[in-house]
Order: sequence, then C-alpha cells, then structure tokens
Amino acid sequence: MDFKLSEKEDALREEIRRFAKAEIPPDFVSNFLDEESRDEDWAFTMSISKKLAQKGWLVMAWPKKYGGQEASYLEQMVLVMEATYWGIPGLGMGISGTAWVGPSLMLYGNEEQRQKYLPPIASGDPDGVWCTGYSEPNAGSDFANIQTRAVREGDEYVVNGQKVWTSCAHRARWCWIAVVTDANAPKKTHGISLLIVDMKSPGVTVRPLLNYTGVHIFNEVFFDNVRVPAANLVGQENRGWYQLMQSLAYERHSVGAQIYGAGKRMLESLVEYVVETKQDGVSLSQNPVIRHKLSERAIELETLKMLSYEIAWKMSQGVIPIYEASRNKAYGDCLQERMANTGTEILGAYSQIDQNSRFAKLKGTIQHLYLLFPGITIAAGTDEIEKNIIGQFKLGLPKSY
Amino acid sequence: MKEIKGFKMDFNFSEHQNMLRNEARRFLTKECPKTKVKELEKDEKGYDSVVWRHMAEMGWMGLVLPEEYGGLNADFIDLMVLMEEMGRNILPGPFFSTVALCALPILEYGNDSQKAEYLAPIGRGEKIWTLAMTESSGEYRASAIKAEVKLEGGEYVLNGDKFFVSYANVADYLLVIARTVKSKAPEKGLTFFIVDAKKPGIHIETIPTLTGEKQSRVSFKNVKIPGKDILGKVGQGWEMAEYIMRKAAVLKCAEVSGACQAILDMANTYAKERIQFGKPIGSFQVIQHQLVDMLIDVEGLQYLVYQAAWLISIGAPCDIQIAMTKAKANEVYRRIALSGIKIHGAIGFTMDHDIGLYYRRVLGAEFVLGDTDMYLEKVAANLGL
Repeated sequence: MDFKLSEKEDALREEIRRFAKAEIPPDFVSNFLDEESRDEDWAFTMSISKKLAQKGWLVMAWPKKYGGQEASYLEQMVLVMEATYWGIPGLGMGISGTAWVGPSLMLYGNEEQRQKYLPPIASGDPDGVWCTGYSEPNAGSDFANIQTRAVREGDEYVVNGQKVWTSCAHRARWCWIAVVTDANAPKKTHGISLLIVDMKSPGVTVRPLLNYTGVHIFNEVFFDNVRVPAANLVGQENRGWYQLMQSLAYERHSVGAQIYGAGKRMLESLVEYVVETKQDGVSLSQNPVIRHKLSERAIELETLKMLSYEIAWKMSQGVIPIYEASRNKAYGDCLQERMANTGTEILGAYSQIDQNSRFAKLKGTIQHLYLLFPGITIAAGTDEIEKNIIGQFKLGLPKSY
Repeated sequence: MKEIKGFKMDFNFSEHQNMLRNEARRFLTKECPKTKVKELEKDEKGYDSVVWRHMAEMGWMGLVLPEEYGGLNADFIDLMVLMEEMGRNILPGPFFSTVALCALPILEYGNDSQKAEYLAPIGRGEKIWTLAMTESSGEYRASAIKAEVKLEGGEYVLNGDKFFVSYANVADYLLVIARTVKSKAPEKGLTFFIVDAKKPGIHIETIPTLTGEKQSRVSFKNVKIPGKDILGKVGQGWEMAEYIMRKAAVLKCAEVSGACQAILDMANTYAKERIQFGKPIGSFQVIQHQLVDMLIDVEGLQYLVYQAAWLISIGAPCDIQIAMTKAKANEVYRRIALSGIKIHGAIGFTMDHDIGLYYRRVLGAEFVLGDTDMYLEKVAANLGL
C-alpha cells in the first residue's frame, strides 16, 4: 500500500502551475462548459487546447502512435486535478473527444478509424472536436429507448432522427452517435450501434438550446436522410449498447478529478474570504458554523481525491471502472451541491449578484457553481441512474426498472 | 491501454496483509460469533479469556512490537488491518485499550527498563492495560484533565477521578495522565504515570453502557507512585496524549470501517433475500439507492483510513488527514448503522438479529478520542481558519 505521488507527478504539477501562470490571464475566470457559448471564449479555449497538445498533455495517457505520451493514468488524473484547480480551459475540447471517443476507438474501433480520428484529437485541432449523440426526446435516463434509425443501403447507412442535449454540437466536426440498427431485435439493447457522423454531412441540422442562464452549451441535432459511410460503424453492428457501457465509464471516470480540482480552489478562496471579511470587527472565520461547514467540505474533497486516485490505479491494472466511475460522479455531484450551498451561505446576499458585476465577490465563481451544478448532476447520467448502475454492477442487486 | 511504468501508488494490501486479514476473519467468525458477543454483553469481565489467549498465541497483541520484546515487528498498516477485522466482527475486549492506547506509547516513550518489563507480557497476552485520561467532562482537551500529582517526600501522590476508562475492570495497569504543575496553559504541566491497578487508594466502579462494553470510573485517593513509573518526561504529558490520540484514532476508525462494511454486507444480503410485493426488496430503487449511499460512504471512509494509516506508517505528518478521518468515521458509522436497521425493518430492531449490535456500538466509537466537533475544529485550524 502506497499513496505517494512520485517525483514525476510532483514535477508535472509544478509544470502545470507554470503553464497556468504563463498562459492564463490573471483576470480570466474559468466557467466550466460556458466556453462553448461565445466565439471569443471558444477561440481562446481552442488556443489553449493547442498549447496543451504541444506540451503533450491533451491526451497524455494515449499510446505514442496516436499522439499520446503513454503517461500513467495517475499522471493524467493529476493533470486533470491540477488543470481544473488553476482553471485551465481546453482539456476536453468540447468534452467528448479526449475523454471517451478516443479511448473508445482504442477499445473497439478498428485501426483505420484510429489512424484517421485520433491524431486530430491529440493535436488539439478543430477537426478533433466531437459531440456525442446519445439522448433523445424520449430517451433520457431510458437511453435504450432511442429511436434514431440507421438503415444500411449498400456501403452506407442512412440516418434519420433527432438527438437532444447535445453539448458542443455547434462546435464539433464529428458526432459520436448511438443509433438503432435493428428495430426488431428481441431486446432494445441488442439493436443499437455506434456510428461516426461528419457534422458537415448534408441533412444534419443543429438548433441551439439555451440553458437557463442564457448560455449556449447544448443543442438539438436533427438527422434527415444523412448518408454515413459503412466504414464509420464503430465496433460491431448491434453491439453498441455493450460498447457504450465501457465508454460511459470513461466519460465519468475523470469527473471526480475535475470536481476535486475546481472544488479545492473554491474551498481555498472561501477560506481566504472568511478570514478577510469582518463583521463587527470579528473575522467570519471565527464563526464556528462557518468553520465546521468548510471543514466538512474539506473532508469531502479529501474523500473524492482518494476515490479519484483509486480509479486511476484500477485503470492501470486493466480494469474498466464501471461502478467506480458512477460512484465518483454521484459523490462528486453531491459535493458540488454542498459546496455551492456553503459558498452561497457564506457570501449571503452577495451570492445573488450577477457574475460580471463589479459588486460580485470571488469573481462570481460561487453563483456560477450554484447555477451550473444542477445541470452537471444530470449530464452524463443522473444521480439516480448512477445509483442504479452501482446497485446492479457492484452490489449485485436486481434491476430496479 | 495498459501501463504500469512510473506508477508508484498502490492501493493493494500486501500478500502478507491479506493473509492476516483472512486469518483474523476466520478466527473471529469461528471463535467470536454474534452469540458470544451477546453473551459477553452480560459478562462481568466483558471479554473471553480463552479467545484472548488464542489471540496472543497468534501474535496479535505483539503484532507491532519489536522482536526483542517477543513481537512480530509488523507495520502499522498490519495493525490497521487487524482492527478492521475486529470491528467487522465487533469483538468485545481490551485489545484496543491494551495495544492502541498503551503498548504504542510505552514503545515510543518508555525507557529501556520499562519496555523490557511491560511490553513482553502485553505481547504474551498476560497483562491488560488501559488509558486513564478523560474525566467527568468526557472530553479530550488538555483543560479537561484535573487529576493532580504532588511530590511528597520523594514520592508522587495521585488524586483525582477518571471517567470513561475502557476495561479498567480487568486492567492490570493503568496509564494515567495527571497534572504535575499548575499552569495557565492547560497543555503544560501534564505527566504520564504507569500505575498498578491493584494499588491501595484506587477504586474502580463499572459504568453500565448500551453495549455492555466495559467503561469505568476510576478514583485515585492518595495513590503513591515511585518516580521510576513516570512514562516519558515530567511535563511531556500532552505531547504524549496527542501521540496516543493520533494513532489510536486511526485504529478506532479502522474498527469503524470494518463495522460499516459488515453492516453493508448484511443489509445487501437481506435486501436480496427478503421478498415483499412478490420481489426482493433490493429491487426497489428506494432500498437500492440507500444501499448505494452506504457503499459510497464505506469506500470513502476506507480510503481515508488507509491513507491515514499509510501516512503514519511512513512517519509523515498527517494531523489533518487523521482529523478528517475521525470526523468522517463518526458521521458515516451513525448513518450506515441506521440505514442497516431501516433496510432490515422490524427484525432489525430485535435482539434476535445481529444488526442492532452495531447500531448500539456507534456512540461508544464516536465519542472515544474526541467527538466530531473536536475533529472539525482541528481540520478548520489546519485549513488556516
């Protein structure tokens, strides 16, 4: 048993700190996912992605032949923690490509697909930006109920249907999409396949959906007789559901590390705030209720750190972290909610001030989290769905739905 | 995408630690079944001397003692593993008080002759020890220690009352912290003494508890102690108390982590077996999600405990990690023990079932070595608040 970071990881942390100081303007506020909304934010984010790629950090755990560094999963986890701590944008390039499209192609894509799609992701190229088409109007938590059809015609699939809540579709070059290829399969999960769709294909329409703060992160995407080369089938036809279970584990596996990094920074800023802020001449940090709330948040962060390291370690042993990723997602969501509550309670009336106002405290990061976390809790699987997965896969309980 | 190189971190227990865990689990399941735990709740001594002797023969009491004192010279993590298994099985008895609260500080602060005299009998299971620290407030702050020792004619004379002294009813020796010098700073002027429990002037009164686990009020009236029985140095008491609390808190948390895992396992098994509405109750999401919440709590606690034990084993500073771990253990044990009862329904509320044994043990574990508020304060101080 040994929980020490090696010198290599310590050195990496130091290098990331230097990178953040050099590349990120001091007044820059990293609002997770918001960068997909405004053109200038997106351009800045992609410029950082390019620099991260040049440093070899964008996909550092990938094999060298696909543009990676063959770094350990632990180094990658440290990178995610440290980059989110410093608010470095661009690690996800949207969110799909680096986190799960790449690893999924390496798991069950063919060599031709890997050669074609991985290098643009690894180099931080605009052609390496992906979106993911899973959810549909009638297939949210009941994901297997998707209706988007792909019918094989010669060397092509013809895709018809609609996806929704598709983050980054308005920025993406490619869509990683789940479709029905066998509508008559005895079980819905036996008729699903994964395709790669070029977002420039005729028949693809992207319509913005604004979130409740007016920010453009996700979209509706319509597919109207979109012709997709059969070579864009990933893995086996009708095996998509089982492949996806693995992809989702990748999607969720580093969520905990992201929340840890950003949460640690937020906790530190709150500590600084309560030490400096005085009421009737007494620092807020002397208030026992505030002291205990911040201590509780610190304990939750420490727990999330260990759970994140554990996933990296298990992945290094060849384990695909299915229940572990769901566990960290569910725990991380819970932590974010508590952090947002503690933060807004500490800021009091100031927490209602618009993030961009000169009156906002702590650069408006607290209210941003308060507004963001409900969405994050739902994205990539609601807590309820994560708990179903954990119940089934780890505790061996009967299917509950 | 497999890789290993450069990956130093390791969440595995060693083969030897796994063997120790398996051995402990086999032994405790066989020799200390829940029927015995229930019997011992009513027993005057509060432990089984046959089981105790077997534990000593397997080397458990001397696990972390050096070979020169008959020990196995094992790692702190090994002891942590053992405590997890004892917690899993809720083994009643004075192991924790003897080893965690007394043997460890004797090993650290004892002089050669004290170590030679006291450690080997502990390792052989011949002598039982306990720590007499808390007083009527039940708190682990230095200011709560009022018992006094005065030097009179070359001898130390101890007066005062200690409260919540674990297994004093069967102890051969007491490790007593008392005030030797009055000082404005409560941490100053405290000293540890090794006291034979049979000395004249000592009165031990058992405090009945929710579990039958033994706690006592120990009164000292003009108890004479020779200078050679000072442990450590005069005035070093609080430093030593903190040393004891640090290590013992991690071991207590390991016990809690083992108990929590046991509760989860029992509840999970029951949820698959108990049929209502024609289905196992574990197929209902309300039950399933409660079990998942328990799992997330247990795994989080385990990793905090393992991290703290590992930090201690390498001698790294870890006050904040220990404080976090104890606060977490307190919170998690309460929550999981209650969920365990709820999932079992009415049967969980009976003496026939074992799950209630855990629920009744929560408070003893929570308040020993300091409550949640005390540890949250330690975390707050470490955060710079």
